[in-house]
Amino acid sequence: MSTGIAPIGESSQVRDQRHWVFRTVMGLAAAVLALGVFAYAYEVSNGLGVTGMRDVGLGGGATWGMYIGFVVYFVGVSFAGITVAALIRLLGLDQLRAVGRMAEVLTVVSLVLGALLIIADLGQPLRGVVNLFLYARPQSPFFGTFTLVIAGYLFASLVYLYLDSRRDAAVLARREGPLQWLHRFVAAGYSDTPAERERHERASFWLAVGIIPLLVMATSTLGFVFGLQVGRPGWFSALQAPAFVTLAAASGLGLLIVLAALVRHAGHHEEVLDHDVFAWLGRFLLGALLVYVYFMIVELLTATYTAGPAEQRISEALLTGRYAPIFWTSAGLLVAPMLALLAAAVRRTWSVGLLVLAGVAVNLGAIGKRYLIVVPSQTEGELLPYGAGAYSPTWVEYSVVGGLFALGVLLIGLYLWLFPVVGLREEVSDHA
Amino acid sequence: MTKYAMVIDLDRCQGCRACVEACKVENNTPQGAMWMHVFRFEEGTYPRTQVSFLPRPCQHCDNAPCVKVCPVGARFKREDGIVLTDFDRCIGCRYCELACPYGVNVFNWSEPEDSYYLDWSDVDILGVTGGAVPPYKNPDLELLHGEEQRRTAGGGHLKGVVEKCTFCVHRVEKGLRPACATTCPVNAITFGDTDDPDDPIHAKLDTRDRFDLLPEAGTRPRVHYVGGRHPGEDARQVEKVDSEVSS
Amino acid sequence: MSATTSSSSSIKRRTFLGGSAALGAAVAGRQYLFGGLDLVEAAEEASLEAVEDQVVTTCWIGKQDCGMLARRIDGRVVKFDGHPANPRNYGTLCPKGQAQIVSIYDPNRIKTPLIRTNAKGETGEWRTATWDEALELVASRVNEVRERNPKLVLWQKGRSKAKDFYDRAFVDAAGISKLGHGAYCSDTGYRALEYTIGLHGVLHPDFSHCQYVLSWGWNITNAGGNKFCWLTWPRLMLAARDRGMKIVHIDPRLRSAGPFADEWAPIRPGTDLPLALALCNLLIEKGYVDAEYLTTYTNAPYLVQPDGTFYRVDGEPQVWDTELGAAVPAGTATAPELDGAHTIDGQELVTAFAAFKAHVADKTADWAADVCGLDADQIERIAEDYGANALIGSTIVVDGVEVPHRPVGIMAYHMAQQELGFQALRAMTMLSMLVGAVGAAGGQTADFTWKIDSKYDSLASVEIKDPPYDFTLKNSKYFPINSGYPGIVAHVMQDPERFGVEELPEVCILHHVNPLGSFPDQKAFLDSYGKFSFVALISPFMNETGDYFADVVLPSATIEKYEGPISASDGYIDAKMLRLPPMEPLFESKGEIDIYLDLCEAMGILYGEGGYLEEINGRLGLEGSDALPLDAKPAVRDIFDRWSRAQGLEGGIEFFEKNGVWVKGPIPPTKRYGYVADPPFGGVVHRFYGEELLGYQQTMRAKGATEIYWQDYTAWPTWRPLTMDRSPSEYDLILISYKLIEQKQSRTSFIPLLSEIAPGARLDINPATARAKGIADGQEVVVESQNAITGETRQLRTVAAYCEAIRPDVVGMPHHFGLWAHPVAKDRGPSPNEIYFTGEGYSIQTADQSFHVKVRVTAAGGAS
Ligand SMILES: Nc1nc2c(c(=O)[nH]1)N[C@H]1C(S)=C(S)[C@@H](COP(=O)(O)OP(=O)(O)OC[C@H]3O[C@@H](n4cnc5c(=O)[nH]c(N)nc54)[C@H](O)[C@@H]3O)O[C@H]1N2
Ligand SMILES: Nc1nc2c(c(=O)[nH]1)N[C@H]1C(S)=C(S)[C@@H](COP(=O)(O)OP(=O)(O)OC[C@H]3O[C@@H](n4cnc5c(=O)[nH]c(N)nc54)[C@H](O)[C@@H]3O)O[C@H]1N2
Ligand code: SF4
Ligand code: SF4
Ligand code: SF4
Ligand code: SF4
Ligand code: SF4
Ligand SMILES: [Mo]
Repeated sequence: MSTGIAPIGESSQVRDQRHWVFRTVMGLAAAVLALGVFAYAYEVSNGLGVTGMRDVGLGGGATWGMYIGFVVYFVGVSFAGITVAALIRLLGLDQLRAVGRMAEVLTVVSLVLGALLIIADLGQPLRGVVNLFLYARPQSPFFGTFTLVIAGYLFASLVYLYLDSRRDAAVLARREGPLQWLHRFVAAGYSDTPAERERHERASFWLAVGIIPLLVMATSTLGFVFGLQVGRPGWFSALQAPAFVTLAAASGLGLLIVLAALVRHAGHHEEVLDHDVFAWLGRFLLGALLVYVYFMIVELLTATYTAGPAEQRISEALLTGRYAPIFWTSAGLLVAPMLALLAAAVRRTWSVGLLVLAGVAVNLGAIGKRYLIVVPSQTEGELLPYGAGAYSPTWVEYSVVGGLFALGVLLIGLYLWLFPVVGLREEVSDHA
Repeated sequence: MTKYAMVIDLDRCQGCRACVEACKVENNTPQGAMWMHVFRFEEGTYPRTQVSFLPRPCQHCDNAPCVKVCPVGARFKREDGIVLTDFDRCIGCRYCELACPYGVNVFNWSEPEDSYYLDWSDVDILGVTGGAVPPYKNPDLELLHGEEQRRTAGGGHLKGVVEKCTFCVHRVEKGLRPACATTCPVNAITFGDTDDPDDPIHAKLDTRDRFDLLPEAGTRPRVHYVGGRHPGEDARQVEKVDSEVSS
Repeated sequence: MSATTSSSSSIKRRTFLGGSAALGAAVAGRQYLFGGLDLVEAAEEASLEAVEDQVVTTCWIGKQDCGMLARRIDGRVVKFDGHPANPRNYGTLCPKGQAQIVSIYDPNRIKTPLIRTNAKGETGEWRTATWDEALELVASRVNEVRERNPKLVLWQKGRSKAKDFYDRAFVDAAGISKLGHGAYCSDTGYRALEYTIGLHGVLHPDFSHCQYVLSWGWNITNAGGNKFCWLTWPRLMLAARDRGMKIVHIDPRLRSAGPFADEWAPIRPGTDLPLALALCNLLIEKGYVDAEYLTTYTNAPYLVQPDGTFYRVDGEPQVWDTELGAAVPAGTATAPELDGAHTIDGQELVTAFAAFKAHVADKTADWAADVCGLDADQIERIAEDYGANALIGSTIVVDGVEVPHRPVGIMAYHMAQQELGFQALRAMTMLSMLVGAVGAAGGQTADFTWKIDSKYDSLASVEIKDPPYDFTLKNSKYFPINSGYPGIVAHVMQDPERFGVEELPEVCILHHVNPLGSFPDQKAFLDSYGKFSFVALISPFMNETGDYFADVVLPSATIEKYEGPISASDGYIDAKMLRLPPMEPLFESKGEIDIYLDLCEAMGILYGEGGYLEEINGRLGLEGSDALPLDAKPAVRDIFDRWSRAQGLEGGIEFFEKNGVWVKGPIPPTKRYGYVADPPFGGVVHRFYGEELLGYQQTMRAKGATEIYWQDYTAWPTWRPLTMDRSPSEYDLILISYKLIEQKQSRTSFIPLLSEIAPGARLDINPATARAKGIADGQEVVVESQNAITGETRQLRTVAAYCEAIRPDVVGMPHHFGLWAHPVAKDRGPSPNEIYFTGEGYSIQTADQSFHVKVRVTAAGGAS
């Protein structure tokens, strides 16, 4: 069988047309990113007052808002990405390797976005970077978020991603092309001989082993950022960390499914990213959802029954109060997919369309839940009789977050363009 | 070893908010920033109504969650019990603000220079104030304080940092009482050194029924209350202040 | 001492004004990274120059002029603190005292004299003028009218400060008419007390020994009470509470007492008179009567004839001597009878006391409970507690002097401004007379020393004339007792014939007063002040009245001026102080005394006999070498220097510049307590029975005054339904108003520090009432008042503020807002004075303002 390099048997105009779509998407993303950059510049020069955030207490607002909500979301996504990648490696699910790579990309990208968003939320951004290195205090849960999650874990996943990309690069480097120099460079002397591949396999195996605990810990600290606060009704809960981790898994997997589906469609990789792949992802997602929904119910019960007056106020705001719409929509966006996937699991028929829908729904749901973790405990969470506050984001916050999503699209797009997911085919032929 | 503390006598407090004003002027806090707040609240219904007042500075907790969570050590507790913010180090993450159960922290959402109520750039005013903003700007607030020798006094220093009640560290180090305690028309606020057996503060602390705010939060405040009542669950704040910040 | 901000921020300036771009960028950059470093540099740079010092002055806002220390950096005031040695405030200040620092530097101050360039009756447009031009203009316009008739020049002042020597001196030197603010303040109460016991004041207890106080409309945690601005009262009150004094709060709102009411009697507004009568009745029933005081010091034992006049022999009122068994001239009886009836020359005579007993006999607790909206048991209990706590017959030794001991008192001040206020305050005073508490230790007083006011006599000998009347209706058949009421003057100016007035004032000088901002009813002033041919305002800030009606505005200084002498007494320690300028007057403003000196010079009434300078000498008691020469314009500091020397203070004014306050020492009991004064109670007979009042009624009727004017001129306080209750029933609520601790009249809501903690108008409303009307907390509402006499209705819009501490049939508003002349004061909601009325039914019998009106409240959506 030919070892001809992809794309096979594809009319050039199809490719052009696909490039055209690709370019416009990238173009749009760039535009949105530009808006985000402008909004941030505006925020830096005028201060965070241009956002909807205000002091808690007398300020009658939320001092953490949409930004922190999305930080949590992004970190969550990254978590799932790297887990899947690692699991695939550890469980040797070779047929999922294709997804593994995407998962790694997803991880790295969303981590970068999370890090940037934290900076965007700081009143003294440059100081933030400088002082965090100068004076970092491990005692602060926040320290965990910054160092472990963002720094350590970003580094680990970068290495991980590099190892795999290196192999692709090596494969790609065998072929003439405008990017050959890059692929050579990335491959850095690695030429994917069986021996090398053997070493590569071992290296990334152990890396995977290492990453798992690191990231459970890291992500938990993000849960602690909220979970350890006695002063915030609705936050002080042992469930914060585990619940956080599972929701993270769900949202990450969801996004992964969407991404996989896109690549599959765009790259006509049906034969590689086959139903089996999606079935696996579906099962993962279903698992995560089941656990999370369980946590959700437990938390609801504890909040509504055993809780003190302050906790009561929060749960009221969530269940029947001003946050009920968001709460129930997000809950629905998480429960519905769970049911659908359950049905699919029973029937053993994993339609890609359904999975993509589920993926999108779960992510919207996750975003809603993240927002609800952050905001209500501030606006309704004061223990002294300040009265309730209110928070609604401004265009600045929407633009900055939007800009970051756009950046994500650009980065992923760039990666896929530089390293078309082709190593896969090699595998196919090899295993043939 | 000095250990500062404050006792607020709710059987004297008139809820007049002179302490709030003294704090604002002394510490040059920007518009909307109130380090001292005086709750006025009602409980019960007519005619069995109870009207109560509750002044609320920073509680300078011995077990201060705000200090614990600060990622860069900008929020710190001194030997003498005062909890301060180093505004040269604060990165403006506002984590302290969330960790604090009492809602006493204030973030500078915009440029303090532009948040002092009136336009002081009026030429006639500049002639008198030499451009000081606010015109009553207190020079002591730029000095270094404590053995840490950090700039921790006063407010309205710069955009993007969190500020709060400092127990008037710049006055206390001069041997003066905090501005709020000094101005209180009925001397409801007693400030002193609990480690000094002769300090008058003991007269209040040891002879009267007392309570701390939100004991369940386990923060171990250095601000104590005698007389009066802890706000109950149905406490309804009345006569709110205008803490709108300019942005 | 280090950093001077002036230089530190002059660096800022440079960077901000982009003077040195490079430095700007550098500083900005570093500031961005590490923050504020530019300031540190500046500090180092400048640490040498900074000069810090402290000067003494007094509060510019409040009426008790608390002593202050001003901390200055390079001559710039950065903080006010209370003066530690001042007996009124002992080193403390209220929120206004602290916040006033902003108003010194307020760029919205009037900086130069202003002359109007547009039509009156709308927001003013102005051109700046020199002092000379402005003063010339005022002088010429004033003199032009003075030459015809000085009385047609009206000098109007408000709640001004310090001893009023320099302004009164102007009025007298110029021979012009004067109007005060008191008819809105508490003059009703003053008149009642002047007439009844001869003291110039309203009612306050002797806190040093009081055990039980009726806080009767005393806004304890917000405002004055009698005489003081505020701060001193809570200090005295708390000291008394530490001793175990109980407070019964008689007020439609509990908020006024905060947590300090041991018992709350939420009385229906305007019904204090019936409550007082019922309490009197109960005291008599329970035998809590101090017969000795009543027979010795009051006209209670006087024999009254059926026509209501005293039974006189050779003009001498008679009492019944039980030992002689005959009527003898009052004061000569060895055993005067308090309670009895006798037939002399076929005339049925009863003692005044007996008549009073009959008058109140049917004023039972149930009756009062019904009228006042209170609980009968509570009224019974209050009477019992008040009587029992009075310890009738007991004495106590105070500073070595044995004084009758009656540790029960009443605190009442502005609440006197209600339709029946004059008689209500009389009834309340009679309550303490019954138990002999007037002038007793721990008992009742109305002033800090037992000084008999000249009005004790003049109010009893008013000569009611026939028209034409002067525009204040003095000596008229409308207001025999007349406080001088700008609200009535406004009505007179609109329709002089109606009141038999022929000449109206033509020129008006507004001194420290703001009728449009602080007086009801705003509409009456809007409709009348345009009629002045010329108006001048003397004020540091443009006020609403000036904005609409002033032709000329003369900028006075805020705190940066000399004023005084000012009493620094807390009622127990005698002390004096002066207001000393902590800075030079800002801009082109001047202290009032400078302004009047210059104005008098321009008017040609400064020098020589009867001139301003001589008036000042007279009013300050400057004689001999201390007297100001009548031929040279003095420096203001020199005036006070002479005064200080006249007080025997070596170094003159320097004494005050050094010490801030002159503490003379404790006020002896013989000055404080009427019983032990020499002569006791200043030698006046306390008017338990109001014979002259009844006399006025008869004359008024004879001269054809309508009932609404004469109905309350009665010998005994007599209840009648209130005029406002004739309003249709849909006007189901009573609007009251009150003061906020953070604000002062109409002169502070533009101080941003204060409007930050007390942001604006609101309508306090009981949640039950509000819900029944479908009004949510914080919702905008329309408040519509109705004039029961004319049928006129007026409206304002404000926000509802749920308040469990107010009667369900009452709504309340603070009165400090509704201003527009200052950008900061704008848009803070309305003043209740927009919908209060003046005139028949809304004025008190003594030509004073009543602050009650019936209103209906509707959710803004549903209304208009
Ligand atoms: N509805 C309602 N209305 C009320 C009251 C109420 O309880 N309810 N209270 C009433 C009472 S008790 C009073 S005393 C009156 C007081 O009312 P006013 O006598 O009018 O007193 P203010 O409003 O304090 O001051 C009036 C003006 O004085 C000017 N002024 C301020 N400071 C200075 C100064 O240093 N020098 C000079 N020359 N002028 C100055 C300012 O222009 C200010 O507008 O208001 C009455 N109005
Ligand atoms: N902070 C502050 N302090 C002030 C002033 C100020 O403007 N601000 N003004 C100063 C001046 S000029 C004065 S005159 C004094 C006034 O001092 P106060 O008389 O103590 O204060 P007010 O607010 O006028 O008091 C009105 C009180 O009477 C109650 N009230 C209203 N109607 C009735 C009624 O019919 N019967 C009874 N029993 N109570 C009634 C109101 O609820 C309110 O509590 O305050 C002085 N002190
Ligand atoms: S100044 Fe004193 S009396 Fe006034 S509110 Fe503060 S503590 Fe209470
Ligand atoms: S009150 Fe809040 S800010 Fe102050 S020390 Fe305690 S936790 Fe920290
Ligand atoms: S805002 Fe500043 S002081 Fe507060 S936690 Fe963050 S860095 Fe520390
Ligand atoms: S101690 Fe100082 S800083 Fe704290 S509230 Fe009082 S005045 Fe403000
Ligand atoms: S009580 Fe009156 S005089 Fe004293 S500081 Fe306050 S406003 Fe000024
Ligand atoms: Mo007044």
